[in-house]
Amino acid sequence: MAETTLHPETTARRKDAPWLTLKYREMLEAWLFISPTLVGFIIFFLGPLLAIVYYSMTEWNLLTGQATYVGLKNFHNALFINPDFWHVVRNSAIFALGLVPLNMALALTLALALSRPFFGVVFFRTVFFAPVVTSAIAWAIVWKFLLQGEAGVVNQMLAWVGIDGPNWLREPNWAMAAVIVTRVIKMVGLNMILYIAALQAIPRDYEEAARLEGASRWQVFSMVIWPLLAPTTLVIMVITTIGSFKVFDHIYQLTGGGPENGTLVLAYYIYLQGFEFFDVGYASALAMIMFVIVMMLTIVQVFLRRRGLG
Amino acid sequence: MKAARKSMAVSALALCLMSTSVMAEELRFTIWSGNEAHLKMLNGIAESFKATHPDVTVKFETIPPADYTQKLTFQIAGGNTPDLGWMMEDAAPTFVNAGVLTDIGPVVKAAEGYDFGDLSQTAMGLWQDGEKVYGIPFSTSPFMIYYNKAMFDKTGLEDPLALAAKGEWTMDKFQEVAKKLTEANGTWGFEFKDGQGYDSRIMHALMPPIRAYGGDVWANKECGFDKPEAIAAVKQLHDMVFKDKSIVPPGESGDYYSGKAAMTINQISRASKMPEAGFAWGIAPLPSGPGGESPVIGQAAIVVFEQGKQKELAAEFVAHMTNKENTAAMAQFFPPARKSVLDSDAFVNSNKLVPADQMKNLAAAIASGKVLPSHEKSPQILQAMAPKIDALWKPDANVEEALKAVCTAIQPLL
Repeated sequence: MAETTLHPETTARRKDAPWLTLKYREMLEAWLFISPTLVGFIIFFLGPLLAIVYYSMTEWNLLTGQATYVGLKNFHNALFINPDFWHVVRNSAIFALGLVPLNMALALTLALALSRPFFGVVFFRTVFFAPVVTSAIAWAIVWKFLLQGEAGVVNQMLAWVGIDGPNWLREPNWAMAAVIVTRVIKMVGLNMILYIAALQAIPRDYEEAARLEGASRWQVFSMVIWPLLAPTTLVIMVITTIGSFKVFDHIYQLTGGGPENGTLVLAYYIYLQGFEFFDVGYASALAMIMFVIVMMLTIVQVFLRRRGLG
Repeated sequence: MKAARKSMAVSALALCLMSTSVMAEELRFTIWSGNEAHLKMLNGIAESFKATHPDVTVKFETIPPADYTQKLTFQIAGGNTPDLGWMMEDAAPTFVNAGVLTDIGPVVKAAEGYDFGDLSQTAMGLWQDGEKVYGIPFSTSPFMIYYNKAMFDKTGLEDPLALAAKGEWTMDKFQEVAKKLTEANGTWGFEFKDGQGYDSRIMHALMPPIRAYGGDVWANKECGFDKPEAIAAVKQLHDMVFKDKSIVPPGESGDYYSGKAAMTINQISRASKMPEAGFAWGIAPLPSGPGGESPVIGQAAIVVFEQGKQKELAAEFVAHMTNKENTAAMAQFFPPARKSVLDSDAFVNSNKLVPADQMKNLAAAIASGKVLPSHEKSPQILQAMAPKIDALWKPDANVEEALKAVCTAIQPLL
């Protein structure tokens, strides 16, 4: 086969051609446009993320500034030696298992009640959404007062109906329950809004068609609305689970991880290691472990949902 | 042309040299107080430093007490080390062992007119290692009992100050009056320091009675919580909380300063809160116990940081700030560690809110008191203790078992 050769003039770049061709100019423009975000992303997100990977393999004394490379020792300590670690993971799991279903069920119920227009609907939506935009610390301080032992408002109200309420924040199991419920009340508004948006996006025709076919209200919900809400449910489940593992401010103010370490969750424990004991290497290793746990949970949820949808 | 360039370069160089010689120096000083009166006093001391160092200004930077050690550590780690700083007793060993504090001994001892021997040796304990001096205490503040005199009078009880004068202010008497006050007034008899005795102020709650009984929380790397003295002391406290119901229990709030508790424990700096309280009040020594009188002191010192760029100058400022004259000026807010100032009438009369007879008790407590426990691993020890102490503060808790559990938890860290 004869080789085809191009005329030298067509391959050689002309001397007077502009160095910035259209292709490169467009590329440059594109990079310039995204550079503000990109620079921010690299400095504030990617950089720290990579730094954490390195720190997690060091023993770093903040005061002396000495960082010694120790390989996987911090991970080994956390997973196999430190008895607190699994207790803390267990607490985080209990918190998530309590918070996620309760939050989602309540959010859906509220959304179903508040998705249709009626007199005062905006008021109720605002009431349930207001805690979301309230400062987490202020929220926790108020609840700390409400949940006091005998003098607390909650217990005084219970006393009116003849119930002797527990010392909510001083008994481990009750403290966990109190932390979960107060957190749900604070955050449920966000999920409610997401569900309301999803409900309003479902065409009314589907429901009407189902009604004409003789479906009961429950059947309409379980067979028409619920499946159509699936993508929103997945998003809500993922963000709520991630949020529940990252809970810090609420625990910090309400219980400080107590009583008897009953509410000592992973994010707060990482804070203790890094910012109270200044053991930055170990705290970074724990943060990496938390990252992996949350990522795995997210993957599992997406996978389950895909299979469910299939 | 060449000549012009040369002369320009020379004059630029001269300008540079001149500017360094007259350039003002600034010392950065981190402090926990943002109180206007405190800062005014400190700025006054900085101003008087100009008499010997006309070019030096001192900038006081407030970091709130709750985050103080944390933020300071991060400033040091981030290379933004202050020149000097206030440091509290529980953080001292960590900073000394990390080699972050400068030995200011040579500069301070050589400072003109600085009487180093006048500093109380017990107060210096934490800040001295052989010949090395890592800090000069500027606040050596004993814990005192604040009492609501109106409530004592109403209940027909002798107040703690009168009882102390007669030598009858004991732990048993303390329990007795707390119970009577609770029953008579429908309020609490006693509140732990700032109402935080069950969480962030565990040590301030347990330490005074344990020392009154002759025990200690730890000594020579050995846990003392499970020793008979400590057990007896904590049992009494436990009875007061759950049997007598005379101490504000866990999970409740009973603010002394608003008249919801008849007594509390705190330092002299809290006296500034009392005029707003609107009731007659007084301060008295801590109740004594089988171990005799054993005042407990909270302490803070001024230190110079090793990573600072002007260590010698900073040390000179420490010498200036803690000389006799300035120590006397600060004594109204921060009880001094200088014997000559403590013994002076000026100190006894320095606080407008506290009468002289009560200030005398304060001076006595400083002279004979022991500083709160400190340890290189204080934060870890407190964290390990916390869940075990939580188990202690339950109505049906076995005090002895709970305290043994505390020792099991903290012994490896000691």
